[in-house]
Amino acid sequence: MISDITLGQFFPGYSPLHKLDPRTKIILAVLAIVTVFLANNTASFVFLTLITLLLISISRISLDVIIKGIKPILFILIFTSLLNIFMTEGRGEPLVDVWIIKIYTEGIVRAIFMALRVTLLIVLTSMLLTYTTSPIALTDGLESLLSPLKRIGVPVHTFAMMMSIALRFIPTLIEETEKIMNAQKSRGADFTSGSLIKRARALVPILIPLIVSSFKRAEELATAMESRCYRGDKNRTKLVKLEYRARDLAFMAVSVLILTAVALLSTLPYSMSFSGLLLDIIFYKI
Amino acid sequence: MNEILKLENVSYIYGRGTPFEKLALDNVTVSFERGKITGLIGHTGSGKSTLVNLLNGLYKPTEGRVFLDGEDIWTNPKEIHKIRYRVGLVMQYPEYQLFDETVREDIAFAPKNLGLSEDEIAERVSESAGFVGIGEDVLDKSPFDLSGGQKRRAAIAGIIAMRPEVLVLDEPAAGLDPRGRREILGGLRLYAERSGATVILVSHSMEDMAHYCDNVVVMNSSRVYKSGTTAEIFSDPDALSEVGLDVPAVAKIARELCRRGVNLTGTLYTVEGVRDAIIAYMKGGTA
Repeated sequence: MISDITLGQFFPGYSPLHKLDPRTKIILAVLAIVTVFLANNTASFVFLTLITLLLISISRISLDVIIKGIKPILFILIFTSLLNIFMTEGRGEPLVDVWIIKIYTEGIVRAIFMALRVTLLIVLTSMLLTYTTSPIALTDGLESLLSPLKRIGVPVHTFAMMMSIALRFIPTLIEETEKIMNAQKSRGADFTSGSLIKRARALVPILIPLIVSSFKRAEELATAMESRCYRGDKNRTKLVKLEYRARDLAFMAVSVLILTAVALLSTLPYSMSFSGLLLDIIFYKI
Repeated sequence: MNEILKLENVSYIYGRGTPFEKLALDNVTVSFERGKITGLIGHTGSGKSTLVNLLNGLYKPTEGRVFLDGEDIWTNPKEIHKIRYRVGLVMQYPEYQLFDETVREDIAFAPKNLGLSEDEIAERVSESAGFVGIGEDVLDKSPFDLSGGQKRRAAIAGIIAMRPEVLVLDEPAAGLDPRGRREILGGLRLYAERSGATVILVSHSMEDMAHYCDNVVVMNSSRVYKSGTTAEIFSDPDALSEVGLDVPAVAKIARELCRRGVNLTGTLYTVEGVRDAIIAYMKGGTA
């Protein structure tokens, strides 16, 4: 079922991660991205993976959900890993040398690091942002972080409102799509067999009702907002005031420490680092 | 009882393995009588719509089996679309499924998917349009230009055009005015009588149930609470009120009259039935 897609879905809860200020989480996500790109050897990757697992356990979101969220990008992961394995030229002797295929240890290491990097990126950002932050909190946080831009005339509030409306309607649209698909299936529509053109044409009975109802819904929403005197952000107060707490400071401090640690770990020379050690064990000492 | 559709120990769970897991049907066993109109009532969230989606194989039971004419519909999952032609399902607010340029084309969608000839398709379109009361002049309009009630009829005609053995409708009259309700439900009864099809009708309206259905199945919190003929179900208002449902207003009046010593006999849950009973009582005294 389409509604089984979890990437980018909010899982309500009361973990420390859920309770963090959304602004903190946005900043932490940026820090996390920088940190993941700093990592470049076994030591730093092992460290980061452990940190990620720790974060998952803090959030109390089940590992199944996380794994399900990675599934959609599995193909890209495998594809880029294979490219890395076959296209990287290393220094020493190739491990495999058959016809035009040459595989070097460097290629394998790079493929593993690459896959790990992408996975960590996805898991960390979705843990911090989408899984543990409601879309409303997320846009509130973004609006607050970007509010200095208002001084130079950027309509920050409008953008934030557009974003929260878009996010809000993703589940609705998914539900709607499923409903329309079921209705057309009940009339014998077939979306899974036939040539590519036939399958593309089979989408018409879904897309037209979906677009029609989206327009109708947009109009109804606009009317509902107007009849409640919505006028953008002028003199508008918030239901939930964002506030930094001790928890936010603590998380911030810890993540700066993690960033520093990863930066230090990644400067370890190759031979001294675990990667050298590990590769020795795996490939030469068997 | 000659049953056409049967659910045997069926359970259905939404979002299995996620935090949103929800048991929608809990070990339900129920059967539907061939050639009759069966009503399905129950509160919002009692599992009616889930049950309806199981009948034509849109959902696969988490546990249990669904039989059509004595055969398990999931014996061959690849052939499940054939079941959908035999059990026609009209979803809630079916007007959202309209998509084609003209009403005629839209009603023809299902027959086309069945692979019928042009002549056969044309015949079925005008036949099913007739049942729901859509005139020739409306057939060439865009479905998006119709009124709400007409859209609903066009959508129902789109299912009837498959000539299903079982026609399942999830609240076909929701949101319509009394006249629209009467016309649509009357058309359905006409269809059932003429074609001999079995009809399963989900509704919130006790009056509609009393008026149009032969049998009634009452759902409550994911289970079948009670099932029987319409007379049986409506003769026990206490059982219904226990699950927050009501008998038709006219049945209450008849009951109150009986309680005060006016002995009425007959169909005591439709306006006509009670009317006749009162007339008989007045004429024959305490017969």
